Amino acid sequence: MNVLQLLLNGIVTGLLLALPALALTLVFGVLKFPNFAVGAMLTLGAYAAWVGNTLAGLPLAAAAACAAAAVAAAAVLIDRMVFLPLRDRGPITLLVASMGVSFVLENICRFSFGNDARNFDVAVARPIRWHGLRINHEQVITAIAVVASLIVLHVVLRHTPLGRAMRAVADNAPLAAVRGIERDMIAGVTWAISGALAAIAAVLAGLDRAIDPLIGWNYQISIFAAAILGGLGSPVGAVAGALLIGVAEEVSALVIPTNYRQAISFAVILILLLFRSNGLLGQKAIRK
Amino acid sequence: MTEVVDIPALRVRDLRAGYADGGDIVCGIDLDQAPETILAVIGPNGSGKSTFVKAVAGLLRPRAGSIAITGREVSALSPAGRVAMGLAYVPQEANVFRGLTIRENLKLATEFLRRRAGVGPEQEAQVLAMFPQIAGRMRQLAGNLSGGQRQMLAFACALLANPEVMLLDEPSAGLSPRFVAEIMETIMRVRAAGVTVLLVEQNVSAALRVADEAVVLVAGRIAHRAPAATMAAADLADLFFARAS
Repeated sequence: MNVLQLLLNGIVTGLLLALPALALTLVFGVLKFPNFAVGAMLTLGAYAAWVGNTLAGLPLAAAAACAAAAVAAAAVLIDRMVFLPLRDRGPITLLVASMGVSFVLENICRFSFGNDARNFDVAVARPIRWHGLRINHEQVITAIAVVASLIVLHVVLRHTPLGRAMRAVADNAPLAAVRGIERDMIAGVTWAISGALAAIAAVLAGLDRAIDPLIGWNYQISIFAAAILGGLGSPVGAVAGALLIGVAEEVSALVIPTNYRQAISFAVILILLLFRSNGLLGQKAIRK
Repeated sequence: MTEVVDIPALRVRDLRAGYADGGDIVCGIDLDQAPETILAVIGPNGSGKSTFVKAVAGLLRPRAGSIAITGREVSALSPAGRVAMGLAYVPQEANVFRGLTIRENLKLATEFLRRRAGVGPEQEAQVLAMFPQIAGRMRQLAGNLSGGQRQMLAFACALLANPEVMLLDEPSAGLSPRFVAEIMETIMRVRAAGVTVLLVEQNVSAALRVADEAVVLVAGRIAHRAPAATMAAADLADLFFARAS
């Protein structure tokens, strides 16, 4: 396989990773803990979209919208039931709680739908040939959906009061409180956006591979590597990190068997933790 | 005959506060502050000045006591709820959103306070006229401002909320003498605009120059209260060092 094809595949993989990496980094920015349940939220989104698409007979885009709304609502509910009561206990407690949430969500999917692999009800189309490159329709859909999501998210974060408030809470939560911004309300909005992003990524992942209870887990390490590489808490960094991880994993196929490509993500996490724990664009944590 | 009672702008009763599992740092403070005055809160390091002001702002949950702004009880409210009731707080150092532009900082000061009377474009124009240093650089990141300029931006943000009472936690900390004088002058202009100012300050001489009254906090309690002009240096030294030890 030529290098250009690998680069193209890597960019599309990176775009897919960008949405859950953003979901992870937004929650980290506002609530200061790494949400281990991001992969499980992706799994929940994949099954929600599958139900809408195959059982309810909705077109995939409509099923994706329903899944985004459902996972957003579930994320807010989980925040109110689990994370809000533990918010003053520190990031380690919240991280461990998110591990518990991850297991619960994954097993709800397993008990509800079984372990069988499932697929969306979409027509199979021939790939497009362009200058020697093979471009799948799924890759085109992924690129369009992710770029559109990133544009919407950019507009929300940069040009709306809620987005400014989210950035303010991420920047300095106590100051945001004394400026009249209710942190719990902003936390709810952040969880809703995070859930919606994970669900959209889930639909795109379900186009690329079979839906099973481990679909989110299969992306978990790459998502964390992307967010850490970009600098946890930095939305631009998360997208840049996701693209780099996606390309690195695909191009690694030239030198290592594809089964081991997640080793790249592990290596990135290890190297960053050793030499640059704040990532490419993250701010150094200041402890008093 | 009906008796006319002056309602204090800030009323604190038996306030007790501390951190986590530690003991009380603020050990039962009673305080009334008249409207449109500057009250300086001074005292030695570790006397509980910042803890007191954080408890009043709502950033630290008091263990006991009550706080009222212009007669309205706010003890049970969140920090954001207290802002809506007319309380503004300017923290000591991290007083602006460094990753946001000056314009974004100013917008955020009012965006979630629309229900509060007097918050709007007219108020914004008046406040910006008070701070020409920041008015011309709206697109600059707040984190790139000097310490004094950040303090001015923080003042402007707090004033945009049209507060009744403004809590200032060591506004002169880390500033050059020129900026200290400018900050103190700004505090007097804030008072002249009808805002009651509670000024926690390490720079005692600067604080006493602008304040109407001062309280000396020692070991979490008010050890002395007097008009600022009558506080003699010798008495303060006695209070700071003898009682603190």
